[in-house]
Order: sequence, then structure tokens, then C-alpha cells
Amino acid sequence: MGLALAKEGSRLHRRRQVIGWVLFALVVVVIPFLIADTYSATIFGNRYTVGLGNLSQAIAFMVAILGLNIATGYSGQLSLGHSFFVGSGAYLTAVLVNDFHWSYLSTLVVVVPGLFLFGVLFGLPALRIQGLYLGLLTFVMATVFPSIIRLEELADRTGGSNGLLIGSDLVAPSWAPTETVAEWLHSIPGLGARVPDGFTSRQSEAVYKYFLLVIVAAVCFWLVRNILVGRVGRALIAIRDNQLGAVANGINLAAYKTLSFGLSAAVGGVAGTMLAMHSGFVGPDEFGFNLAILLIVGSIVGGVATLHGAVAGGLVIQFVPHWSGQTQTLPGTDIALQGPYGGVILGVLLIAIVFALPSGAANGFRQLKARFMPVVPQAPARSVIVSPDA
Amino acid sequence: MNFTAMGFKSNQAVADTQNTQDTQDVDLLQCDSEYLKVCGLRAAYGDVGVLHGIDFSVAKGQIAVILGANGAGKTTTLRALTGMVSTEGSIRLAGEELVGEPTAEIVRRGVAHVPQGRGTFGDMSVEENLLVGAFVRNDKQVRSDIAYWYQTFPVLGERRNQPAGSLSGGEQQMLAIARALMLRPSLLLLDEPSLGLAPMVTRFLFEQLKASNAIAGTTMLVVEQNAGLALSVASWAYVLEAGEMVLAGPACELAVNDKVRRAYLGY
Amino acid sequence: MLFCRLATTLGTFDISLDKLSDGELWLAQFFRGLSDGATYASLALALVMIYKSTGFINFAQGSLALLGVYLVYVFSVEQGLPIAVAVVCAMVASALVAMFIERTFIRPFPPNNVLPLVIVTLGLLLIIDSAVGIVWQFRTRSLPSMFSDSAPIQWGIARLTWRTIGNLGAVFVVVGLLYVLMARTKIGLAFRAVSSNLESAQLMGIRVGSTLGFGWALAAAIGTLSGALVVPDLLLEPSVMLRVLIFSLAAAALGGLDSMVGAVLGGLVVGLTRNLLVTFLDLSELALATAVAVILVVLLARPTGFLGTVRRERV
Repeated sequence: MGLALAKEGSRLHRRRQVIGWVLFALVVVVIPFLIADTYSATIFGNRYTVGLGNLSQAIAFMVAILGLNIATGYSGQLSLGHSFFVGSGAYLTAVLVNDFHWSYLSTLVVVVPGLFLFGVLFGLPALRIQGLYLGLLTFVMATVFPSIIRLEELADRTGGSNGLLIGSDLVAPSWAPTETVAEWLHSIPGLGARVPDGFTSRQSEAVYKYFLLVIVAAVCFWLVRNILVGRVGRALIAIRDNQLGAVANGINLAAYKTLSFGLSAAVGGVAGTMLAMHSGFVGPDEFGFNLAILLIVGSIVGGVATLHGAVAGGLVIQFVPHWSGQTQTLPGTDIALQGPYGGVILGVLLIAIVFALPSGAANGFRQLKARFMPVVPQAPARSVIVSPDA
Repeated sequence: MNFTAMGFKSNQAVADTQNTQDTQDVDLLQCDSEYLKVCGLRAAYGDVGVLHGIDFSVAKGQIAVILGANGAGKTTTLRALTGMVSTEGSIRLAGEELVGEPTAEIVRRGVAHVPQGRGTFGDMSVEENLLVGAFVRNDKQVRSDIAYWYQTFPVLGERRNQPAGSLSGGEQQMLAIARALMLRPSLLLLDEPSLGLAPMVTRFLFEQLKASNAIAGTTMLVVEQNAGLALSVASWAYVLEAGEMVLAGPACELAVNDKVRRAYLGY
Repeated sequence: MLFCRLATTLGTFDISLDKLSDGELWLAQFFRGLSDGATYASLALALVMIYKSTGFINFAQGSLALLGVYLVYVFSVEQGLPIAVAVVCAMVASALVAMFIERTFIRPFPPNNVLPLVIVTLGLLLIIDSAVGIVWQFRTRSLPSMFSDSAPIQWGIARLTWRTIGNLGAVFVVVGLLYVLMARTKIGLAFRAVSSNLESAQLMGIRVGSTLGFGWALAAAIGTLSGALVVPDLLLEPSVMLRVLIFSLAAAALGGLDSMVGAVLGGLVVGLTRNLLVTFLDLSELALATAVAVILVVLLARPTGFLGTVRRERV
């Protein structure tokens, strides 16, 4: 069943866009209340329990992928070591909160410019080292991060192999309307039955954290979107598609490439801060090679050069391993499963996506949407050729 | 005279004909004796169609030339013949269908293709390039063939151990042609052999091609912008415009055709 | 702040003179470096094989080697074959697996677009590593070596063991065989033509698919050999080849991704640097970081490594 054809920019199209965003916002707001108490479902005979924390982590991953997309998707530089930036952000936050008693959010004041600078510094060698050589260098960097954290000389700050428990809780401020919203949702027939009738302190902390992360993520996406739809984004895409042509058209290659690494690293750092906020713990192995690969998977599965692709990718890399970790038997059968099936599933998914959809799931989603809600693209007004006698 | 022209423009083409000289009458739709016979060939890059169903044929031992402006689809036609673009229609070589065959298999049936830009193996030596040219041959005469080409193009012999990438444009074109003929092909496809070469080098190359054609009887299909030179070597010519064959006939007659003269010979 | 700490700690590094003037220690670390370097070089050779023919880095090369090493384990420890026979069997088996993988996952993609192929190899890395973990679990095992650990030559603590000699010898034999294969045989000619200009190679009647499949098989066999050389010094567990892969990537980048001789040189340089730096600067935790530093410095000076050809950008 398809909806009527809508012209791009027409009232109908605008209205649909607005409705879409409102629905999306509603889902984002209502979901935490539904799963504040862990939510369990039985999928193909396997119990699957998911908590709000998992969703929070997925949101942090979304931001991490967003950062990766800036360097890889938009400016086309093969960066396989994004976990390095995410880890740096996370540890910076952890150390500032623990040793200097900052609040979580205020660490962003240091994390964002610090990581931006770090990314720019990293971008300088990337000007000279290109393509697969750059991919190789960043890949090796990703594997090095844990060993730097474990350095004895840094261990009293970083906690070495044991990781670092961040000694500060995120407690919801008294003005947070969590209880009111929960009561209100509880009163809705049908849906309300799922919403608990009052929160424990742990639950309200989880809900508060979730909203905090949603807001940080929304700000990140909004800022990145604004940067990428404008001059900078066009320059980056031009560099990606034809470096020589971009230079010939007066784009300052060095400036934009380092800028893209700086932005990418800064956003990655924010993702690190978010992960630290989410779990209250940072450990060296969380930010190693596995995270780097996971982020690449998320980026590809979602669609490299898209913003909503980062959302899809974050959900995939959070929930596929999480779900498979809880799966005891092969879906639909009694055959017992044991071991790291999540890796197999992600790998298969990754290859399948590359096979089926050259530009990722987000593009697939767009194609699907175009099928059901057809939109006629309209040329920008300026480009219409006006004949002299018109 | 009686040009055989194809497609919906044929009437107009015939009407344009002013030369009344009597020539061979070839019915292209019944040319089963033709060595290469192409019917309804379509080719596209993605969604962009380049060839819109062209028909042509080349007789055994003949040199045929395809003329046309930039973007008319000449290169695409050759690439379709060796399976390097997605193709529909029918391409028969000595009666055997080539459409759908992978490039390597088409080449193994004796079709050599000198691509535009020569496609030499830049980091391999001249001699290795020639050896790769004879890759699918299993006979004992490879060495003597290489010696023959060193004799024909002495400059290649002098530089046999140099990387092909270090040769000049003309030398690389000689190498590309010699390498293609190392296959001992029954059909040779040449894509703009004169591109970027000095007129003297070009003339020399065409003389060599004509000699090969005379000695080995190699059928040749040449795509060329230098229409005058190509028509002087070829015996049959086609004119391709925007993906359709608009004119066909003996080369000596197309050379004096007004339309061809104005459009491709420039006088 | 972190940098300040790092600087102060650098000052306290134990660079005592007796350590530096200890000839035996130098020699001992030199031998260990050569032995490690040889194993890195062999996996780097496998990476170079793939890069030369296809223009991309097979990030799953370490995983294929991991699979190969487990096959060595199955053939030698579980089936009781002599270790050398087991290694050969595993090399053949992993070559077959690699051919299958190339055929199924790599060949459907247009060979001139590198990025999707790199992504596919990352996917393969995830699948193979996880599959090995599922099949053989995460228990550590020990693997016998083809070469004994006894030392025919010994100066104090510096021991030149048969294993070091064997590792080096194996690498040089592999390089020699590869050289002959590439320079003297028809399949080598095809292989070089494909790596030089893919489209032209097709136009010479070379079957590109099977040539690349052959490259994959060869690379996997070499990777398995490198695993069989390195793992006896470590313990066999599902992440053992990852560290080796990192050093091998460093070696390949150093030597230039398309140079076989470069891969061997790079491997030896990385092996030696690693062992000497770690010993004389007490950098045991930074062993991996030294690899990064070495790559970074060399690539900044020469963006395509020591011996790599400057190619047109393909990503």
C-alpha cells in the first residue's frame, strides 16, 4: 500500500516530515518508561532481556559512528582507529571526574577541544599518508590504545589493567519530571500497564541518564548536520569524490582534511564521555581493536555517508551482540549454542549489507520509504534555466 | 552508387548519396558469410544507454573502420565486443555467440583488443609484455614471433628489458599492437591507435597494420578519429552517430561522400 | 597533563650503561629479533601477495592464519601426525579454504573498487575469529614447533637456536620460491599482469578470477606457515594471531605494500626494533606502540614504504 505522491517541499511532504519527527520523538520519550524495568521477550524460544542501559549505550555508539562517518563517510579517509578517540574521550572524562571532581557534562569543555586538537594533530600525518596506508596505520593505532592505558607510569591515573571505576553518580535533579511523566503514562489504558507505578532510585537514575545522553546525542547530530549540509560538507564530499578536482576548484585540501579529522575525533571524544557516563566505568579493553571494528561495522551497516545511518548502526552494534550473547539455543531448535556468536552474526551482516546494499541499511530504508511514500524531487529554484524571452 | 545504410536514417543517407559509381551490393541482414556479425547490439553504463541497437559486420580478412564523433559510442562498441560492458543483442564470431562470455574467453577465441590508452603493463618489461600477449598460446613459436616484432619495431628490441612505462607514447602504442598480435588473433580490435601520436608515427603504424593484414590475413576493426588515414587503410567503413549506425559502405566511397567529408574529413 | 607524566617517566627509563654495553644481551635480543622478524615477515608476505594482486589489504589474513594454526594443531596433536607433515597438510587445507572464500565472497565484487572489498575482509575477520572461538573455545593450548629449541651456537645468554635459524630459513625459502614462481612461471606472469593492469590482463586472455584465487590460496598457505612458526613461542588461543597481524601490517607498510623483499626487510626491522627497544628502554607494555611509531615515522618520510612503488591512489 503506498501513500499519495508528494512533491518535495510541498505542504503534504512537509506535513509528513513533521509527523515523522513527532512520532520519532514520541518513541524516544516513551521507550525509557516502558523498559525502565528490564523488558523481557521470548524470541524463537530464547529469553531476551534488555534494559534501559543497553539503549543508552547504543546512543553513545550512535554518536561514535557519527564521528567516524565524518572522516570516513564524508571525506573518504579510511580511518579504522576511531576507538582511539572514543577511548581518549572516555578516559579524559573519567580522570577529570575522579581526580578533579568535575561533573560529567562539564568535562565536555575539555574533551571536545582537546580531542579536536588531537584529531587535527593526527590529521597532519594523514595528509601525507593516504588510502590503505592510512587505514593500516589507524588499524594499528586502535590495537595500541589498551597498552598505553596499561602503562605502569600512567596506571595510578588510569587504573591500568583493572580499569577505573568512576566515583560519581548521576543523580536525577529534583526538578526532573520523571515521576510525573511516568504517572501520566501509567494512566493511559493499554500502554500504561507496562509502565511501573513509581520508580526505584536506580530506575529513575537510569531514566535520567538516558535522557541526558539523548540530549547530548541530539545536540551532536544537530551540530554535525549543520556543519555538513553547508560549505564544509560540500568541500569534504568534493575531496572524497575527486581530490584533484576539489583542489583545482580552490578547496584547501590540508585545511579541510585536518578539520574533518578534528571534527571526527571531537565527536568521538563526546561518544567516549557518553560511554563513561553510561557505565560509570572505563577499562582498557573496552576501547581496543574490537570497538574499532564494531564501529566500522556500525558505520557500514547504517550507511557511511548518512546521519540516520549512524542511528541504525548504533542500534545494530549494540543489540546484535547483546542479543546473541543471551541466546542459548539455535532459534527455533533445541541445538545449544555456545561461544561468540555475535561476532559471526555481525560479520555475516556486514558482508550481506555490502552484497545487498552498496550504501548501507540507511539507503535501503530510504529506498523502502520511497516505495511507500513517494516524493518527487524538486530542483532548487536557482538552477532553473530561464529562457531570455520568458 | 549504392550505400548500404541502416536504421531509420537509411533513406536519407541513400538520398544524400551523389556518387553513382557501381559497387558491390551487400545485404547486411543476410551476411551469414561475414566473419564478425553484430545484430541489435545495445550497451549501457548503469542507466545510461550508449548503443541503441546497432548492426554491422566485418568480412574475413577485411579491415573495417568505425568513424564517429566523441561520445558516439565507438569505444563502447569495441568494449562490447570483448565483453567489457554489459551488453544485449547478438555478436557472432564465425557463427559463435560472444554475448555473455567473459572477456578472457572471448580473447581465447582469437579476438585481440588494443584498448584506448594502450593498456601496457607499465611495471613489466617490454619483453614480458609481449610474453603476456602470447599467454594463451601453447605453441613453440612464441620466441620467433617476439623476434619478428623486434625486427618490425626495432625500438622495442632495443628496449626489451626496460619497463614498458618508460617508453614514449608512440613506442607504447607499437608495443600494444605487437602485444595484441602476439596472440595471433583472427580478429584485431584497435581503439584510436593514432591518439596522441605524431603524424609520422601514426602513418608508420597503419602501414604495419596493413602489412599484418596482408601477410596473416588478420581481420581488423579500427575505431579512429583520423578519418582520412583510417579510410585510406580500410576497405569498409561505418559511421556511428549517438549510438546508432547511420552510414555504411566501402571506404573509398565514404571518403568522397559529402557528409562524411564535411563531418569527419574537414574539407 | 598526561604528556607531562609521560615526559617525566621517560626520564626515569632504565637506560643504564651496563645494559647498553652488555654485548651478550645485545646479541641475545638480536637473535630474538631475527626470529620474531622472520615470522612477521612471513605473514607480511601473505599480505603483500594479496595487495599486489588485488590492490587491497586483506585484514582477514591473520584470521586465515589463525584457522591454519588450529588445523596444524588438529593434524599434529589430535591426529598424531609429525609436525612437519601436519604443517604441510594445514597449508594445503587453508589454501583450499581461502580459494573457497575468494570464490564466494570476493569474486562477486568488481575488483577495481577497493573499499567494499576491505569491508568484506573485516567481516571475514569477525566471522573466522568468532568461529574459531566457537569451535576450539578459549582454552589455551601449546603447539609443538618444527624446529628444536636447542642452540648449536651459544655465547653466554645469547643463544642462536635451531628455531631462529629455522624461522629465518623458512622465510628465505618462501621468498625464493615466490621469486621463482613470479619470474619464471606462466602463472607468475599472469599474476604480475593482473597486478599491473587488470583490464589489460583480461584482454590477454588471462582468467583473472582464477589467478586471484590462486593468489589467495598461496597467501593463506604462507600465512599458515607463519602461524606454525610463531605460535610455538606463544600459546595457541583465538586471539594469538592478532598481535602478529599488527606487527606484520607494520612490516608490510614499512617495506611497501607491494614489495616482497620489502616485506621481509620490514619484518626483520620490526622484529629487531621491537626486541631492542623493549629491552633497552624497558618498554614491554609499549611493544605494540613501538610498531605504530615505526610505521608513522617511515610512512611520513616515504608514504609508500621503503620499497613500495608509488601507485595511483586506489581508495
